[in-house]
Amino acid sequence: MKAPPFDYHRATGVADAVEALRAADGEGKVLAGGQSLVPLLALRLARPAVLVDINRVPDLDRLELRDGVLHAGALVRHLGLAAQDRHPLAAEAARWVGHTAIRSRGTLAGSLAHADPSAELPAVLRACDGAVHVAGPGGRRRLGADALFVGALQSDLADDEVITEVELPVPDAWGFAEFARRHGDFAVVAVVAARFGERLRLVVGGVGAVPHLVDVGDLTTVDGELSQDRVAILAAAAADDVDPPTDLHGSAGHRRALTEQMALRALAQLAGHRTPEVV
Amino acid sequence: MTTSTNAPHTPHTPASGAPVRRKEDARLLTGRGRYVSDLVLPRMRHVAFVRSPLAHARITGVDVGEALATEGVHAVFTGEHPRIAPVALRARSALPGYVETDQPPLARGKVRFAGEAVAAVVADDRYLAEDGAEGVLVDYEPLAPTVCAWEEPTDPVHEEAPDNLLLSRTFRAGDVDAALAGAAVVVDRELTTNRHGGNPIECRAGVARYEAADRRLTFWSGTQVPWIVRTQLAELLDLPEASIRVIVPDVGGGFGVKAVLYPEDVALCLMAMTMPGTPLKWVEDRVEHLLAATHARDHRYVLRAGFAADGELLAVKADVWCNTGAYSVHPWTAGIEPLMAGGLLTGPYKLADYECTVRGVATNTSPSGPYRGVARPSTVFAMEALLDSGARALGMDPIALRRRNLILPADVPYRMPSRLVDDSGAYEACLDKAVETFDLGRWRAEQTRRRREGGWPVGIGVAVYNELTGLGRAASAGPRMAFRTGHDACTVRVQPDGGVTVFSGVTSQGQGLETTMAQVVADALGVAYEAVEVRIGDTDESLWGFGAFSSRQAVIGGGAAHLAGEEVRGKALALAAALTEAPVEELDLRGGQVYMAGQQKPVISLAEVGRVAYLQSDRLPDGVEPGLESTRFYDPIRGAFAAGAQVAALAVDPATGEIHILDWVCVEDAGRIVHPVIVDGQIAGSIAQGIGGAMFEHLVYDDAGNLSTGTLLDYLMPTAAEIPELRIGHVSTPAANPTGVRGVGEGGTLAPNAVVAGAVADALGIEIDDLPVTPSRVWELVHP
Repeated sequence: MKAPPFDYHRATGVADAVEALRAADGEGKVLAGGQSLVPLLALRLARPAVLVDINRVPDLDRLELRDGVLHAGALVRHLGLAAQDRHPLAAEAARWVGHTAIRSRGTLAGSLAHADPSAELPAVLRACDGAVHVAGPGGRRRLGADALFVGALQSDLADDEVITEVELPVPDAWGFAEFARRHGDFAVVAVVAARFGERLRLVVGGVGAVPHLVDVGDLTTVDGELSQDRVAILAAAAADDVDPPTDLHGSAGHRRALTEQMALRALAQLAGHRTPEVV
Repeated sequence: MTTSTNAPHTPHTPASGAPVRRKEDARLLTGRGRYVSDLVLPRMRHVAFVRSPLAHARITGVDVGEALATEGVHAVFTGEHPRIAPVALRARSALPGYVETDQPPLARGKVRFAGEAVAAVVADDRYLAEDGAEGVLVDYEPLAPTVCAWEEPTDPVHEEAPDNLLLSRTFRAGDVDAALAGAAVVVDRELTTNRHGGNPIECRAGVARYEAADRRLTFWSGTQVPWIVRTQLAELLDLPEASIRVIVPDVGGGFGVKAVLYPEDVALCLMAMTMPGTPLKWVEDRVEHLLAATHARDHRYVLRAGFAADGELLAVKADVWCNTGAYSVHPWTAGIEPLMAGGLLTGPYKLADYECTVRGVATNTSPSGPYRGVARPSTVFAMEALLDSGARALGMDPIALRRRNLILPADVPYRMPSRLVDDSGAYEACLDKAVETFDLGRWRAEQTRRRREGGWPVGIGVAVYNELTGLGRAASAGPRMAFRTGHDACTVRVQPDGGVTVFSGVTSQGQGLETTMAQVVADALGVAYEAVEVRIGDTDESLWGFGAFSSRQAVIGGGAAHLAGEEVRGKALALAAALTEAPVEELDLRGGQVYMAGQQKPVISLAEVGRVAYLQSDRLPDGVEPGLESTRFYDPIRGAFAAGAQVAALAVDPATGEIHILDWVCVEDAGRIVHPVIVDGQIAGSIAQGIGGAMFEHLVYDDAGNLSTGTLLDYLMPTAAEIPELRIGHVSTPAANPTGVRGVGEGGTLAPNAVVAGAVADALGIEIDDLPVTPSRVWELVHP
């Protein structure tokens, strides 16, 4: 478990990082928090020729709320996200990421770039209909959540692009529920519910190659209070809408059941319903 | 009134029984531990092993050219190297029908499990060694792999065992068929238990250095068994025993997986012998550990039990398959799990009619070996499952049924159907105290309330168990091997300044053996705990010890320490008597001072006695040799059974399969307790490990023999968040050994499989036949 040889470049700015990635000709990787990349290096599953370290790039750790949207720089760590109160959903989800040591280094943008379909923050980005700002040799572009995630551990980012900022719109109401094998594990199934006006976005993690945006037509348009009946109908519809895989930690059937249960919990939280003490 | 803490008339406060500051704390708690992994020697080079990606295949060619051309690589070894090719590890046993097989240090001719070491690369550092390992090109011709021990093999793992059966034995007592025929109810269960790894924080580690001039090999190792390693290495390397020194510094956990001599150990030493003066270091990483360190508990049980109408257990008939993996583990053999399973299956329950056939079956998986609890976490699960089924069939309370059948104090010594002799009898006392602490009535009421008012169903699980500890020569660990592990030695030396140094044969992987030995010697000799220094883990310093396994060291190493301490005390008092012209029978040694009966001031100090013993031979009485030390062996002949009971309440969500542990109580009989915090730490740690095994940890192979759980992302170790607050209680029935202790290293692991499975079954009205009990499995059982 020792990394294969690689060159190391400490980027002095975004343009410098992009240039280093371009020069690496598809063999470069951005090192931010390193919480996914470094284990992959140690297992020799990733073999970049160059690591472009952006940790010393100035101004990438900004975190500010503008016009109902949280703007987080590429170096905002999970701990910072968990500690802020301007986007309570993102704060809650960040608390579910790994353990303190992981959260103190791991970054929001890094998690999005890594695009693990069982990770919490990609599901949050999609539920909030957020976006990432990307810098590349051809200039800058803004990429919406629906376009960012293209497959398991695959994003739309080019090899020489780097995320500079994440936009997370703050929902009017939200709910987050996760089922994991242990405290701090990736989700077996996680459900993120976000409400913007009459529009409800329900995203399920752990059930496919990308965070799954539940598509149940008009059911996700809600006028006024979200009733308990509607919660039950939506949760059942969400379970029908997913096509989960089977793996060591849960069968397809189990994941479908978990989708319904986590949706029930997340939607009840969003709606402010009182839930009975069960444990 | 004033008192002085140094008042000479203060009676000796026993160190045993008190939570004294641990000797190890200054090192281990402040990051100053000295581990093999930290060891740096001049000219040292690093080793990476090339491991087989296939479970079963012939090796048709190995090309090391590219590896040798890699920057920083100095040598590459394969199984065909002339120094390595003639050597094979062969676990020997005189057990009838046992098939002996060879395990090469590096694979030769064929590979038998994914992860088996095929070649080794020596380089300037581990990074370069791994670069070189990628350059070793091995051609394989695949063979059909066997992964499951109870399915027909296609290509046998070893030619010597065409059916893969390495050993089989039937335990028989009474007439089980007649007893079953006369039973009021007969219950059947078919169970499988899951595959575990040891996963100490520090994986395996070794540094080997050979000095050609004096033909001396020094092997720094994280082993639990340094003297066994020395003896086995001497034979395998063809060196005199005295030419091998095994040094075991601080070790980051063992749990049994380091009580094995591994092929990597032998390969490392053989390679070092071909590179005199160049120390070679190998530190196992986590991927290697999961893949190639020993596994355990991949078992199947087909069971039938008969009960009388009043609940008396009349008969148990069992067929057991244990997956022994690709090789018979050295030196314990493939018998380690099956024989323990057959010998201890009936646990703390009285039974006359018993028949149990156990098998050790070779497969193309990592070899199975000793792991905390050896087989008994599985057998306790099996036995308690039978009792739970019996209770349901009889309509009887499951705890009452257990109580009806426990070995009681009046039955002791009790000859178990496997002919092991149980000396405990504290089972009912443990169960009673556990049930009372747990408050069974309250939890039964809560169970009923939830059935009425809703909320996750609650289940109650219970298990009673006997931990076989401190085995002496009559019940020695291991099946008819060439050595008996019943004894350890200890030397207690009073230094010229009165300080006390203990050279003990015990080893410590973090369980505080330096402290325990110091406490025992302080009390036996009559000195302050602080005056005792303990040296362990060096075969050139101490005389002998078999090491850490079978919860043996407090009993056996502690026994030797006590006897040696007592003997030195006798010598010191005799010398003190001669020096003070006092009758020896009126002298007493406490706190490092010699007192005369009836006097408050000491007549001479141990320091003065020590000074005379070494430096002032002119003051020695006639016939007394200089020096002040003693070496004693101790063997308990049989062993000490340690009773325990655990009871827990769990809540289960039928909709998700999620399990919450609400309360967990354990009561054990550790005999006389030497260090209460260490003892509770052992119990808590072993329960945590047991809960890990019951609910999370599972090494999964796919049908091709690939390990699917190759990192800690998929092999789930419990964290502090998964382990509930444990309520630990004690009963104390001192054992018949010098210190009265019973071992506590493993007991906690024995119950959680049974407790978790029993509680979930109780909550949901289902039967749990397969471990681990995961949310997914529970959900599948509720939604068939």
